[in-house]
Amino acid sequence: MNELQIGTHTFSSRLILGTGKFGNVESMLDAVRASEAELVTVALRRFNREQVEHDLFAALSTIEGLTLMPNTSGASNAQEAVRAAHISRELSGSPFIKVEIHPNPQHLMPDPIETFEASRILASEGFTVMPYIPADPVLAKRLEDAGCASVMPLGSAIGSGQGLATAEMIKLIIRESSIPVIVDAGLRSPSEACAAMEMGCEAVLVNSAIAVAENPAGMATAFKEAVEAGRKARHAGIMPKSGSAVASSPLTSFLGKTS
Amino acid sequence: MITITLNGEERNVQDGTSIDDLLGIIGAEKQRVAVVVNENIVYPEKRSGLMLQENDQVEVLAFVEGG
Repeated sequence: MNELQIGTHTFSSRLILGTGKFGNVESMLDAVRASEAELVTVALRRFNREQVEHDLFAALSTIEGLTLMPNTSGASNAQEAVRAAHISRELSGSPFIKVEIHPNPQHLMPDPIETFEASRILASEGFTVMPYIPADPVLAKRLEDAGCASVMPLGSAIGSGQGLATAEMIKLIIRESSIPVIVDAGLRSPSEACAAMEMGCEAVLVNSAIAVAENPAGMATAFKEAVEAGRKARHAGIMPKSGSAVASSPLTSFLGKTS
Repeated sequence: MITITLNGEERNVQDGTSIDDLLGIIGAEKQRVAVVVNENIVYPEKRSGLMLQENDQVEVLAFVEGG
C-alpha cells in the first residue's frame, strides 16, 4: 500500500528526480542521495569527448538501488522517440522509458498525437512506458488503454516554476485513472509537491526546482518530506470544506457568562 | 582509408578498423555508450568483430543529465 507500483516494479520513494540543470555532477549526486529517489531520469545524446566531462552512467551507478528512466527528449515525432527508446534500453538495462515529445522549443508542450503513437508502440514491445503529457483526461485514459504503466501530466510548462496550473484537470485524470498519475514539470516548491500528493497523485517528478536551488540537496530533502506529508494527509482523510465557520472550542460556559 | 559518418560528421579511418577500435580513437572505450551502425544497434559483444565499411553511418551515444 505504501509502495509505489509502476508496472511490475515497486518503489518506496514517491519522488522521481530529473538529473538536468545541476551546477555540477557532485551536487546532482548529493541531491539524488538526499531525495532518496529510486527512479531518476536521464537523456540520450551523441557522445562528445569535448563536451562530456564525466561518465553519467558510472556516476549514477555509485548510488545503490537506483533505476534509470531514460527520456526521449530531442525526439520530434513518434518514430524518433521509439528509436531513442530502443537505444536507451540497451544502455540503461531498464524497461522504463519516459516518452517525451515536444517539438516546439518555445513552450515545450508535449505533442499528444506523437506521444500516444510512440507510447502505444513501446508498450506493445514490453517497455514500462511513462508518457509526459498535457493534462488531458481523455488522452490519459487512451494511454492507459494502450498499456502505459503510468501517465505524467504536466503541472505547468517545463522549467517554468508555475506550479499546479492544471490542478483541476489533474484531479479529473486521477478520478478516471487505474494507473499511477505522476505530476511532471512545473513544480516550484515543496508545498506544490505536497498539494499534488494530497490531490491523489501517486508520485511527483521534480528537476528544475531542486537543481537550481541554492542548496540542491537541502531542497531535495524538503521535496522528499513534502511528498511524504502529502501522501500521509491523503490517506489520513482530509476534512471537507465548509461554507461557514465551525468553532473548534466550545461556544458556551465561558467564565462569567450565564449560558 | 575509408570514409564513414560519425555522429553526423565525415571521418576517415583505416581499413580494418573495428567498432571497438573506433571507440578507442574517440575516447569512448571506457564509457558506457550505445553504438548504432546504419540504424542497427551493435551490442558490446559484437564490437570487436565488426569492421567499419565505406560510407557507414555510425552513431555513438551516451546518457547525459536530463529531466
